[in-house]
Amino acid sequence: MNKFQYPTYESSHEQKHRKRLNLQSWILTAPAMLWLLFFFLLPYLIVVIYSFLTPDIYDIKFELSLESYRQIFNGDYLRPFLISFRMAFITTVMCILLGYPVAYFIARSSEKLRSTLLVMIIIPFWTNLIIRIFSWRIFLASNGVLNDTLMSLHLIKAPLEIMRTDLAVGLVMVYVYLPYMILPLYSVIEKIDFTLLNAAMDLGASEVKAFFRVTLPLSLTGIFAGSILVFIPALGAYLITQLVGNQRSLYIGQVITYKIKNIPRNWPMASALSLTLLFLVTVLLAGAYFLWLRNKQRRRGESD
Amino acid sequence: MEEIKLEHLTKDFGGFRAVDNVSLTVRSGELFSFLGPSGCGKTTLLRMIAGFEIPNTGRIFVGNEDITDLPPYKRPVNTIFQNYSLFPHMNLYDNVAFGLRIKKESKAVIRTKVRDMLALVKMEDQAGKYPDQISGGQKQRIAIARALINDPKVLLLDEPLAALDLKLRQHMLIELMNIHDAVGITFIYVTHDQSEAMSISDRVAVMNRGEFIQEGPPDDIYERPNSVFSAYFIGETNLITGEVIDVEDEYAQIRCDSGDGEFFDIDSTFKFKPNPGQKLTLSLRPEKIAISRHKPHHQEDINVIKGVIEDILYLGSHTQYIVNVGKLKVRVFSQHKRVYFDDKALDWEEPVWLFWHDTDTWLINELPESNGFEHDLTTDSTTHRQVRRANQA
Repeated sequence: MNKFQYPTYESSHEQKHRKRLNLQSWILTAPAMLWLLFFFLLPYLIVVIYSFLTPDIYDIKFELSLESYRQIFNGDYLRPFLISFRMAFITTVMCILLGYPVAYFIARSSEKLRSTLLVMIIIPFWTNLIIRIFSWRIFLASNGVLNDTLMSLHLIKAPLEIMRTDLAVGLVMVYVYLPYMILPLYSVIEKIDFTLLNAAMDLGASEVKAFFRVTLPLSLTGIFAGSILVFIPALGAYLITQLVGNQRSLYIGQVITYKIKNIPRNWPMASALSLTLLFLVTVLLAGAYFLWLRNKQRRRGESD
Repeated sequence: MEEIKLEHLTKDFGGFRAVDNVSLTVRSGELFSFLGPSGCGKTTLLRMIAGFEIPNTGRIFVGNEDITDLPPYKRPVNTIFQNYSLFPHMNLYDNVAFGLRIKKESKAVIRTKVRDMLALVKMEDQAGKYPDQISGGQKQRIAIARALINDPKVLLLDEPLAALDLKLRQHMLIELMNIHDAVGITFIYVTHDQSEAMSISDRVAVMNRGEFIQEGPPDDIYERPNSVFSAYFIGETNLITGEVIDVEDEYAQIRCDSGDGEFFDIDSTFKFKPNPGQKLTLSLRPEKIAISRHKPHHQEDINVIKGVIEDILYLGSHTQYIVNVGKLKVRVFSQHKRVYFDDKALDWEEPVWLFWHDTDTWLINELPESNGFEHDLTTDSTTHRQVRRANQA
């Protein structure tokens, strides 16, 4: 052990230098900070305030009220929440299952092929989301590309009713959010030292066992990051559910929008629902992070 | 414990032949080294034994079992990888237990065996640490424990010490030998470092361009190289070309051209049958040559030639002299023992006598492929001399 320690003091020159660095970093981050303050924090504050006010037909009345929260706690909006969470969960799982092999394949392909494949993953982002969703509508419609093809091949007699079902929502969700899963997964898998797989196989593990004991545990951080990137936007998705979903099962994003769009408007309800969603996501993330940390600590502890 | 047999192994990568028709029997319990420069095919050969490469032709046997077509996880061999390849997400205990867990051994068995193994490599008190928390030498030990716990019939070591610094390398070398003695299984050791291979191995195979050049005990390869390549690659040597004049019993008289019109004769020993008139190469180890400003009185069975010191390199344990014999440069290592000869140190440009016993010259039945062998030496010594002269001035 190194017992010797250098005395820690700063010369006045060093202090000045440190102060200047501090000032510099403040100046450099100020634009972003101000941006966030005015366009994120303040609007959110308005949302918080609104959620405690009373609705009016078009606007709000400045009278304090807990009515919105009462209704939420009463369970009046349980169904859209459940539907949304279920769909976000399914989307995330599907994205992991579909995205992992793709990310793995890209990470293990030659450098030249790799960049081509990555560009192909990113290309969909260059097209507007609404246009992409509409193209799915054309594809899935009862007289759309899919049904026409299947009918002309005589595989089906009547068109499949996929449009305006939860299946359609799921398909489009996975399509839209898959790149958000693939990219973080790729960046983690790419860094895995593949001689570790050789080592595992050398020690008696078949390819499958080596994957589950080495590759998969080492890519967990990627799965975690990708899941967050997919789950949260999927939870609040509005465009997809609105454009390919049906009106019988309303997702939470739709409910919030309707509260503002339809008259009589209910700004406080919309605000309260948004904040509840935010709260649930935060709790979920914190929980996941906590589990992650504890798991890590437990593994560090189990030496014997 | 079983021997390993390689039969006519060949491996091509694209158009490149990495291993060319190699056959070998490694005796059980032996510590055998593949020694060669990088790209000579030694690692490919090892990876074929481990199962990571499939030979194009040839068979591999462990005992009587043909393992050529078995996947790595079904072979009775384990590997120490060059960078250890410890699993970063597992602590040391779990790393060592990995093989047993795959085999679904009971917890109690795993616990005892892992403890024994960690004790063998003196890491029992570090079991809870993670690979990123330990030093290179410790990683090395864990890699050994992780491999040996599976009771392999053969342990393959792929440049295991290359990532360690010199002192640690020397220390681990001894430890490896102790472990080899303790477990008694066959070790196959791959290295490009000739001193490592020499000190640790029972037998060594010198490899170049995918082929075995020579195999045998280290001292045999060092004292009796069969080729210019093994003479040059193992240790330091002077390679002098000459023509056979006469052969008498186990000695041959070789006439060497000093390059400036003068010839000198050297008596040499050999393993093949040289014919008068044949041109071939002499290998003369620098440490076998005595250097003095006086001609030796006793000259029977001794080769004596005359030269001029061109350069002196002080190397601590010994001094290296570069002596010009005509246009030839002969390297001489002289230890600092001041009991013989003159006490006054030899100096630059001083005429000296070089002499050595006839049996210390060894005849090689081929000519050097190129004279590039001496290149590094000459450039080195020139710079050195210039520096010395500049300092003296």
